[in-house]
Amino acid sequence: MSLPTHAPSKPPAEDAVSTTPTLRSAGRRARFWVLAGAGAVLVAVISTVLTVGAADGGPLAADSATPIGARALVEVLHQQGVSVTAAASLDEAGTLASAAGDPTVFFFDPDGLLSAEQLTSMAQLAPRTIVASPDFLTLQTLAPAVGFGGVSQAKVTSARCTLPAAVNAETLSPGGPTLSIPAAADGLTGCFPSGGDAYALIQTVAFDRSLTLLADGTLLNNERIIEAGNAALALNLLGAGDELIWYLPTIADVPGTGSASLGELTPGWVTPTLVLLVLVTVAAAVWRGRRFGPLVAENLPVTVRASETMEGRARLYARSNARLRALDALRVGAVQRLAGHVGLSRLAALDEVIVMVATMTDRPSADVRSVLVDAIPASDAALVALSDRLLELERATARATTPLPPGRMDS
Amino acid sequence: MTLTGRFVALLALGVVPIVLFGRASETAATVLGLWVVAVLALGILDLILAGSPRRVALARSLPSRVRLGETVTSDLYLTNTGTRRLNMVVRDAWQPSAGAGNNRTKLALPPGERRVVSLRLTPHRRGERRVDRVTVRSFGPLGLWARQATLQAPGQIRVLPPFNARKHLPSRITRLKELDGRTSLMVRGQGTEFDSLREYVRGDDVRSIDWRATARHNDVMVRTWRPERDRRVVVLIDSGRTSAARVDDEPRLDTAFEASLLLAALASTAGDHVDFIAYDRRVRGRVKGAQGAELLSRMVDTMALIEPELIETDWSAVPGQVRAVTSRQALVVLITSIDAAGASSALLSVLPQLTRRHTVIVASVTDPTTLAATHERGNREEVYRAAAAERALLDVARVSAAIRRQGAEVVTGSPADLPPALADRYIALKAAGRL
Repeated sequence: MSLPTHAPSKPPAEDAVSTTPTLRSAGRRARFWVLAGAGAVLVAVISTVLTVGAADGGPLAADSATPIGARALVEVLHQQGVSVTAAASLDEAGTLASAAGDPTVFFFDPDGLLSAEQLTSMAQLAPRTIVASPDFLTLQTLAPAVGFGGVSQAKVTSARCTLPAAVNAETLSPGGPTLSIPAAADGLTGCFPSGGDAYALIQTVAFDRSLTLLADGTLLNNERIIEAGNAALALNLLGAGDELIWYLPTIADVPGTGSASLGELTPGWVTPTLVLLVLVTVAAAVWRGRRFGPLVAENLPVTVRASETMEGRARLYARSNARLRALDALRVGAVQRLAGHVGLSRLAALDEVIVMVATMTDRPSADVRSVLVDAIPASDAALVALSDRLLELERATARATTPLPPGRMDS
Repeated sequence: MTLTGRFVALLALGVVPIVLFGRASETAATVLGLWVVAVLALGILDLILAGSPRRVALARSLPSRVRLGETVTSDLYLTNTGTRRLNMVVRDAWQPSAGAGNNRTKLALPPGERRVVSLRLTPHRRGERRVDRVTVRSFGPLGLWARQATLQAPGQIRVLPPFNARKHLPSRITRLKELDGRTSLMVRGQGTEFDSLREYVRGDDVRSIDWRATARHNDVMVRTWRPERDRRVVVLIDSGRTSAARVDDEPRLDTAFEASLLLAALASTAGDHVDFIAYDRRVRGRVKGAQGAELLSRMVDTMALIEPELIETDWSAVPGQVRAVTSRQALVVLITSIDAAGASSALLSVLPQLTRRHTVIVASVTDPTTLAATHERGNREEVYRAAAAERALLDVARVSAAIRRQGAEVVTGSPADLPPALADRYIALKAAGRL
């Protein structure tokens, strides 16, 4: 309800004092927290940037400084004038190889991502291919004669072959998996034998190109490259050309199959609409949730019902089955009322009351006495029944003592 | 600062262009971004154009008192001291018990002008009801965003006891007047005073005939009497722990106020001096030496602020309080609650000190539900309840008997019955000349 009023006789020129802080004063008060929050974000960003350098790659990742990475080897190769380029897919490796003059390909596929065809084309990329930890499919495709030789038991493994890289290395770290060459096979050079026909390194020719199989790829990682002659072997093998393509297959090499995914079938506007929905929800929350000024405090009185004590006592009676005590209370009240009905004092003797009531209501006084004094309730049902009899006795007495209205004598 | 439903709706409307133009994911994202930026820009523009809610001058016009249950109008004058038109909603933040109902008012206030916001207040609780603040929400011209400020504008209104028992007053005054000029009283005690002589009319008590005056006049003259005047009545209300209990959804204290107001109005009409004290461990309110209309207005004013205190009443100091009011013989009315013997022992122990000198009435509110409970005996729980109620009634009867033995009168009644019952007892005492 608003009514225009006449110009006030004495207008209150003063603005009312506001208790809501202005944006500026609120900002000043919250400055510490804003700065603290900004500082925390800054620290988080910086630490993230710092740790990203040592980011973990997979095993033998060229830029990984973790124990299973191969950054140490790659760095040394760099210093030796070999340009190392990492390739993440077969296409990328192919592009790099065709661009290079005399490339060497290092191939390590612990997850077995490539198919037989892809392995074949990989082996034909460069004149020299070094395969670390070949799996069954790789061996089957590239060097079908070579098998697995089990884990080496030899304490010391020395070259024992004519391969220059192996000769330079002299020894390798003992242990680890090996590859085996069957006796009938030829064109295969095995180095670092560990008993029987098991070798740690096998060189062969596939598709007219040199193929070197290193049974244990972990020899090249940051942790183990410094052991025995591992480093010498690796540098000699990988540094044979000027350019090294460090090819670790990724999920990009796996050809996509199956029907289109749910994401591809969804229309483009669905995600933005969901985002908008979230924004609308937030806005609606602000709209409905913004308080129209502070709450008003008011001291309210406690509410205590006066009948609380009576109810409490009734529950106590009920819980402890205090039948006789409850009945006595009812009887005392009834006797006092009966005394009033029959014209005795409230303090009249009980026997007098019983006699008077029995006379008035024409009942045997033993009956009345039983209701008013003697009967002991054995159960709750008996208690209810006795209380009903008390009420009935009171009513009968009241009827007997109240004179009937005139004209109704016959009824 | 806040936003409106219109802003939310406008934001939600963005779904239309997103679906229409967003076949591809990238375009949809762009449309979404553009829409959000545009809506936000509109909102900020609206906020900048909104008038400042702080540039408002406030003045109040309020009645200072209202009787409980009645309705008053609270006027709040708002003057726009800024340079922009204010489209606003005003919340006059009265305490809930002030009964303001919907306290939000829409208002358009051009610069330099003044408007009044009127609220109908129907307080539903006695005491001082306050308002401290007014919140103003000023909307921009587009109604998208709003500025909000809470301004100080203190005000208060005193809610007086309703004195519903005044409906019993005319009948009691009539009965009081009947006492006046009666030729004969059943008991002609020391409290009745000789009033005048008048001619005998048929029906007068022959014992009232003044033979000496009859000898002097030609007619038969009778003496008339009037009830004593200028007696003192001290009403002492127990505002302690037990007065907080609710009987028939009314605290015992409020019933005590009703009863004492009716008694004071009656006694003041009858020419007696009424003093009022509310006491528990210290005096919570006192009215002394007032007469007539001023007495009642001062009493309701004092009562308005008295709340039950959750402490035990110190009865031993009560005789001293009464002595401080009057040293003469007086009618002392103690309005308290008569409970179990244990709870009333303090009252019983000081009663002799009062009854030695004064006529004492102890008035107490009884709970009608207790009486009703004694007759409901349908099942096991109800029988136990009836037994407990019977026990409570017996306790009250026992304490009442003890009080009577100490020489004091007892008046009990339900909240509706106690005020007239107390007034009747006063009239009876007056007629008996026992004041």
